[in-house]
Amino acid sequence: MRQLKRLVWAMALAGLVAGTGCRRQHPLTVETVEEEGPPLVSVVHVADPRATPQLLRGFYDIEHNSWRWTMGKFSVTLRPPAGAATKGATLQLNLTMPEPVISRLRSVTLSASIRGVALDPETYTKPGDHVYSRDVPAASLAAEAVTIDFALDKYLAAGAVEQRELGVIVTQAGLIPK
Amino acid sequence: MTGARRATLLSIPVVFSLIVYWPGLWTWFQQDDFAWLGLHLELSKPSGWLHALLTPMAQGTIRLWSERLFFLVFHAVFGLDALPFRIAVFATLGLNLALVGDIAWRMTRSQAAMVLAPLVWAANPALGVPMSWTSSYNQILCVTFLAGALCCFLRYVETGSRRWYLAQWIVFVLGFGALELNVVYPGLALAWALCCARHRIVSTLPMFAVSGVYTLAHSWISPKPASGPYAMHWDLSMPETLGRYAITAFGGSRLAELPQAKEWATFGQASAWLLAGAVIGFLGWSLWRRRFRDSFGVLWFLTLIAPVVPLRDHFSDYYLTAPAVGLGLLAAGAWASATRVASRALVAAAACVYAGTSAPVGRAIAEFHYDRSRKVEDLVMGVQAAGRIHRGKTILLTGVGTDLFWSGVHDKPFRLLGLHDVWLAPGAEENIRAFPELGSVSDFVFPAGPALRITEKRQAVVYAAGGERLRNITGTWLALARLRWKPGPASRVDAGHPAFADQLGSGWYDLESGYRWMADRAVVWLGGPGQPGQQIHIKGFYPEEGLAGGPLRLTVRIEGIPAGNSAVEKPGAFEFRFALPPATVGRARLEVELELSRVFVDPKDGRRLGAAFGILEIR
Repeated sequence: MRQLKRLVWAMALAGLVAGTGCRRQHPLTVETVEEEGPPLVSVVHVADPRATPQLLRGFYDIEHNSWRWTMGKFSVTLRPPAGAATKGATLQLNLTMPEPVISRLRSVTLSASIRGVALDPETYTKPGDHVYSRDVPAASLAAEAVTIDFALDKYLAAGAVEQRELGVIVTQAGLIPK
Repeated sequence: MTGARRATLLSIPVVFSLIVYWPGLWTWFQQDDFAWLGLHLELSKPSGWLHALLTPMAQGTIRLWSERLFFLVFHAVFGLDALPFRIAVFATLGLNLALVGDIAWRMTRSQAAMVLAPLVWAANPALGVPMSWTSSYNQILCVTFLAGALCCFLRYVETGSRRWYLAQWIVFVLGFGALELNVVYPGLALAWALCCARHRIVSTLPMFAVSGVYTLAHSWISPKPASGPYAMHWDLSMPETLGRYAITAFGGSRLAELPQAKEWATFGQASAWLLAGAVIGFLGWSLWRRRFRDSFGVLWFLTLIAPVVPLRDHFSDYYLTAPAVGLGLLAAGAWASATRVASRALVAAAACVYAGTSAPVGRAIAEFHYDRSRKVEDLVMGVQAAGRIHRGKTILLTGVGTDLFWSGVHDKPFRLLGLHDVWLAPGAEENIRAFPELGSVSDFVFPAGPALRITEKRQAVVYAAGGERLRNITGTWLALARLRWKPGPASRVDAGHPAFADQLGSGWYDLESGYRWMADRAVVWLGGPGQPGQQIHIKGFYPEEGLAGGPLRLTVRIEGIPAGNSAVEKPGAFEFRFALPPATVGRARLEVELELSRVFVDPKDGRRLGAAFGILEIR
């Protein structure tokens, strides 16, 4: 069996090397396993795979090692920072409003709610980077972790541009101490 | 023409296809590949070889060479190294290009046409999928048999030698092991005979009998579904489907699918219609001039696309792989019939526009499959590494998006590595789009309560997929899971998994490899239904020896209330479902009692066995 394998390999590789040169386009993934990550964090970089469990729903895969597309609704779980249960905190969502989205939808309104309390929405009419920032009352942060639900009033339905339903591009979500 | 010159000329399309589909050479496995790679697992069972080779699978097909033996043999020799599989596909394509070139040569006696025909075929975007997804090797190998048989027939027509006629028969019959499409080969041979060898028409007719017998046998073994995507519609949708295939065959119509070529979309669409118009014009001109041989490519295309035209609801681009050879032969015919410089320039320009708008699409398809398969490889190899580190532990995965799930998890690649305890972590399914027609995502999700319990006990680890490396995030996940879920009873119990042992009451024997026997009566506790209308689903297995005394009956009681009973009449796997009593809605925990009307005694250890389970689930 081993001889047969060698023979086939030799023949195939000879042909390949002679014709176009043999190169592997994909680097081998050597480190497939890492040590355990930290527990829940207050600020989530969506491109950090360790943050994956905190991106509860509505997020697509990491793209270009830096950001993720969302769906029309998406949710993140965050750990309130120290002192937030008495002083409150600031919710910040770093997002990019993509040009194809704005050009098709004209305007997109982002709203958020945290443990049932609605935060003021914000409407975006220009493409580019934006920060959605809202104060969160202390009463909403008296827990070990809180889930923030985001919703867009308009988004690109599945099939409009590609097979996925597309909302906005998000790079980071966090609760910042006051 | 010398053999060396012929080889040199035919190397042009080979190099061209290598350049276009280069990423396809390096793709890893994905989707159905894992089902075929798992065929070898059948071999250890009784009648395993017979089952693996000859049992109809995947829409009732038996593709001996292109699927069964291809995957069995290559997996036996090379394991999960995808490159040898891909080399085989590319080598087969190279052979096909030579065969198509040979047909074009015998059609036209033009060296330029001999190169043009395989070049045009190689540029067709329909090849993008088979040149980058190993499961669709059947499309490439089918062309080998079709073109091979036709080459033999052409030699028979030229020489009158019965050897070539016999060779044609052998290649034709063997071709049924590549793809069912082979059934139309007699039509191809007849088309050639009608175009340019009418004295050989009769010699093609016996092959129709073989195709007829094959069609009858195939219909008997796997009857065509009356509904769903594979239902055949013999109605006015057929011309529309044919037209759609005809336009799609010109790659320009698909330029719009490429994000980097959006600005060329209109040009691509226009070029497809122009080329289609040019083909119709050339066909009319050929018929008027009675140059039937030059338009043989049209007959090739129509003959090979015909079987899929009634599939109104299952339009697949790669079905054009074999028909697209017709475009190549048509280009060869057009070149040969163009005697003036201006008309040849026109043919060359049309071929350039076609290749320029088609090859990028094929390339993009190959790149797409390459990228996707490498993500699958990262996941599967990462899980393998994790399995080595955490021997005996359950592996839970998060961060598996829609594409990665349907291309790299749904077809169960981990069992190929001997890993049978790999699941999606609860909650991971919320980022996966459901496609009910493909399967259920929930079947792959480990229930929340037991997941929390076994992770707390360090019997499970949680890994995040989606990046280049798989990452152990057990700590993060556990912190979140403690907040989201309670370690209560799951509504889905796998009796064959140790994590669910504390949901099993009396009447169960010890765990065996992936299943558990009950005696005549057994109790299981399940998380109650959250809403009315849910049912209890029971999957189990009953052995042949237990049915010696005739059928037996499985009775299910929930909270003491009879939910129903069903007869077990045949040995093997069974699946029953019963409506839940309305009073159970909202209950946190239900006691489910299973009772069999008869047991049998295991001759090995004297145990009184009822049935083996299996999944018990409320949904």
